[in-house]
Amino acid sequence: MSDTKKQGFVVSALAGLRDWTNDRLPIVNAWEKHMSKYYAPKNFNFWYFFGVLSLIVLVIQLVSGIFLTMHYTNSAEAAFASVEYIMRDVEFGWLLRYIHSTGASAFFVVVYLHMFRGLMYGSYKKPRELIWVFGMAIYLVLMMEGFMGYVLPWGQMSYWGANVIVSLVGAIPVIGEDLLIWVRGDFLISGATLNRFFALHVVALPIILIGLVVLHLLALHEVGSNNPDGIDIKKNKGPDGIPVDGVPFHPFYTVHDLVGITVFLFVFCFVIFFAPEMGGYFLEPPNFQEANPLVTPAHVPPVWYFTPFYSMLRAVTVPLFGIDAKFWGMIVMFGAIAILFVLPWLDRSKVRSIRYKGWYSRIALLIFTASFLILGYLGTLGTSAPRIALAQFCTLLYFLFFFLMPWYTKKEETFAEPQRVTGRWITNKQLAITLALLAALVFLPLKAVGAEVTVELEPVEMDLRDEASLQRGFTSYMSYCHSCHSLQYARYQRTADDLGIPTDLVMENLVFGDASIGDLMQNNMDADDSNNWFGKTPPDLTLAGRLHSPAWLSGYLNSFYTDTSRVWGVNNTVFPNVGMPNVLYELQGDVVCTNNAEAPEDCELSHVAGTGELTPEEFDAFVYDMVNFLYYIGEPVRLKRQEIGVYVLGFLAILFVLVTLLNREYWRRIH
Amino acid sequence: MSEDGTDSGRRRFLLGSTSVVGAAGVVGAIVPFVGSWNPSAKARAAGAPVRVDISRIEEGAIIGPIPAWRGRPIFVVRRTQEALAALDTLGEDVLQDPGSEQPEQPEYAQNEYRSREPEILVLIGLCPHLFCSPTPRLAIRPEPFEANWKGGFYCPCHGSKFDMAGRVYNGSPASRNMEVPPYYYETDNVLVIGEDGVNA
Ligand code: FES
Repeated sequence: MSDTKKQGFVVSALAGLRDWTNDRLPIVNAWEKHMSKYYAPKNFNFWYFFGVLSLIVLVIQLVSGIFLTMHYTNSAEAAFASVEYIMRDVEFGWLLRYIHSTGASAFFVVVYLHMFRGLMYGSYKKPRELIWVFGMAIYLVLMMEGFMGYVLPWGQMSYWGANVIVSLVGAIPVIGEDLLIWVRGDFLISGATLNRFFALHVVALPIILIGLVVLHLLALHEVGSNNPDGIDIKKNKGPDGIPVDGVPFHPFYTVHDLVGITVFLFVFCFVIFFAPEMGGYFLEPPNFQEANPLVTPAHVPPVWYFTPFYSMLRAVTVPLFGIDAKFWGMIVMFGAIAILFVLPWLDRSKVRSIRYKGWYSRIALLIFTASFLILGYLGTLGTSAPRIALAQFCTLLYFLFFFLMPWYTKKEETFAEPQRVTGRWITNKQLAITLALLAALVFLPLKAVGAEVTVELEPVEMDLRDEASLQRGFTSYMSYCHSCHSLQYARYQRTADDLGIPTDLVMENLVFGDASIGDLMQNNMDADDSNNWFGKTPPDLTLAGRLHSPAWLSGYLNSFYTDTSRVWGVNNTVFPNVGMPNVLYELQGDVVCTNNAEAPEDCELSHVAGTGELTPEEFDAFVYDMVNFLYYIGEPVRLKRQEIGVYVLGFLAILFVLVTLLNREYWRRIH
Repeated sequence: MSEDGTDSGRRRFLLGSTSVVGAAGVVGAIVPFVGSWNPSAKARAAGAPVRVDISRIEEGAIIGPIPAWRGRPIFVVRRTQEALAALDTLGEDVLQDPGSEQPEQPEYAQNEYRSREPEILVLIGLCPHLFCSPTPRLAIRPEPFEANWKGGFYCPCHGSKFDMAGRVYNGSPASRNMEVPPYYYETDNVLVIGEDGVNA
């Protein structure tokens, strides 16, 4: 009895608070307008998840970003090390970083799909032109966010990517050169550039982004949501003035979106915990090397979400009107984005949705999608004549989709729109055919220009659970590598703990000089000395296991051979003309090139029997341990990350069951 | 639309369980963000115990505020016999906590000298009032702030007074004795400050 009374009191107190606030701020009104009395078409399908998912990712990025700024150091000298500090020294720092780096890519995934939805169902057409324009502005700001954010870790890709893109400014005739210096604040990309990008990335652009998102949503809620049929549900209202094909957004779409959000989080967390690098697409391996203005990496592809436009930039190879090709490439690239803004005025069709548009539009959309995907893939690769030709052709198709749109949308015969909204429209068979067609349109041209990636190295399996191997690897590293190299982002203490070595043993046998156990494993060789001896400072090896695959590292350590023409008397087939002596020579013994090959890569190696302290099998085991250790030290948290990931995914699976049941419970009577 | 009572129990159950599981998820998601505010490995390494060679401290002299432990100044004083004798003369009438009743020191320093070995005093050089660092005034002589000064520390900020064991005088704004950090003797001449040591 008293319990219900108490409950009654709490409820009435809350209601009182609500009314008090509402008299001063129209919260009830806003709730009704945007949630409980916002009538959305009841036939939203899969494609309608990506709007709310963009919002979710935005929140994820804001929160993780705020926490990252608390640990990041914004200077050219310290930025790279501070990212490794976050990855290793800050509690859960690795998770914050992976959330943010994966979130950046996830943002573009959901936004691209969201945009494609708009394109398919004509969501940009009258009266939703402004929603589309705001959306495009969001996309543009997002690209700037992504670009500047990518510069902040100050790795090689950050640096050279920034260099390439910022240099475009210099292509502008007359004022380009001066403008370029102004944008960089220096005569090259430097700390000055990094600092201004940081300010824009964490303060200015997010504010603009949030403002645009608010405008996007306000404009949407003013005119109402489109739907897969592209017909106006407000034309068909019941006696109560409510669209008969509409359902209140809350609770119907809130529970519905929960399902989509849970599935999204499952995929998102899977990437974070099991594939944060996403095969080098989300985190590019060369970016595990600190920025060096003097050495360009072999290949500088932008992150995947820029690659379609990057391809277009490279596709323009001829100067025009006496102005550099580079300038026209830039015009084409920005034009490709700019033209999207005017899309609402290019489409002259009577109907909105691709469901009722004619065959011209359908084929055009298919070809456009294929060209965009091809351009995207080509942008991740180096160039060759056939690839450039293909990129040029696809760029042309990309623009033709828009330029010809006023003509084909007007000319074609459309299909009759239904009176009421309909459910699923495409059959499984039609869907399969469409997807197969799209796949063929994408893969066949790529195949024709020889754009597949080849792998030559023998794969090796590392085992981070093999503590004994890691301990041996650590010891060998310390005795054979650490006199020249360093592990300057990792600490003795952490390494000892992770590898199960007692602290005092490490202190006695492995810690160099007067370092203490909590210190970073810096090198005891003076940088100036090493410059004199080797011509360059031996690189830090903390991230060698992320910069290179274990297969590469094993291949490298195994592939030294005698070459008297080189300074150190050795060469390497995996790393031709390497500037390092073979420190493992005593152990391995003599290896020679048997075929007198011109290039080191082509050498066939043969071990001179009986020359090493170790047998070839023992040597292989030695190398395996060393590589295993380098693999570990590249990302010490790897095992723990995967362990946590299992729990997180398990939790999301349970949540998925619940939200699915809840959604079904609400929607049972609707369809 | 669906407000008929037949499924409301089921709906309420699903709403409740989803909310509970969802809330658990939110709490779980907060953990890494809260955790990231804890001292990092770098901070912990910098806050590791420090070693001090006390053989070079002369009688009646102090080293400090260097070394620092966890960024806090450490005072190490080698007290004269005279100063040790003077400690006895100060009692309830002059000091707020002459017997070191309050837990401002490890157990092994809860004695009349507030130290492991009588001569060597180890203190965190911060005033318990508002954390200024008191100035050492080690000599036994009349001082402007105390005619009957037996040596000790005087806080320049708001005038708190401490004796040669870091015990606070009556009438000081500070109400606690200066803190003694954990420490132990690694050898006769090497102090490790920041750890109780095995023989704690
Ligand atoms: S801080 Fe020392 S007296 Fe106030």
